[in-house]
Amino acid sequence: MAMESDMVQAEAVAAGEFRELSQKYNVSGVPQTTLNDGAANVVGAVPESNMVAEIKKIIS
Amino acid sequence: MAQLLNADVTKQLEEAFAPMQEAVEMMFFSQKDGCQHCADAQQLLEEVAPISDKLNLTIYDLDDDADVAEKFNVDKAPGIVIAAKDGDTLSDYGIRYAGIPSGHEFSALIQDILLVAQRDSNLAPETRDFLKELTEPVLLQVFVTPT
Repeated sequence: MAMESDMVQAEAVAAGEFRELSQKYNVSGVPQTTLNDGAANVVGAVPESNMVAEIKKIIS
Repeated sequence: MAQLLNADVTKQLEEAFAPMQEAVEMMFFSQKDGCQHCADAQQLLEEVAPISDKLNLTIYDLDDDADVAEKFNVDKAPGIVIAAKDGDTLSDYGIRYAGIPSGHEFSALIQDILLVAQRDSNLAPETRDFLKELTEPVLLQVFVTPT
């Protein structure tokens, strides 16, 4: 998705190496996708259409 | 330090990278103090890069190269940016890794390299249309563990 839009940045974060950040977003199960610094959190694999739906929810 | 990639994995990567059409830049950001996994992560990329002549690796330091880190939105070490490389021009696709890409993340890294090499996201047309019309920044952080 990051490839298709300059507005989108995607970052894979190794939870074990960045514990502070993981705790900030209450990461308990992986993968967890956190959108815009906690505007939404999705645990588990996220199919493409679901991710689109999640992004739609957090933008006005 | 011993090799991280064994001969089998190296051979698999040679096969995976063979179809690469365009060049890909791996930007690696290290940090001198308190970075437990920087040395291993750097060594891993240094072993991956020579496997394809379409792959390029440049090593940066998060502090010494703060301007580059800021330009590519890197704030963690080890940090990796997978960018498109056309001649001397780098195109940022917004793809980053924070932490050593081991286990599943290693496969994900290789997949990202291949996507950037084909300059195509493989996403559905309706997803592309939606993303093209985005006017607000979206940061997707995927927390993972290496198993």
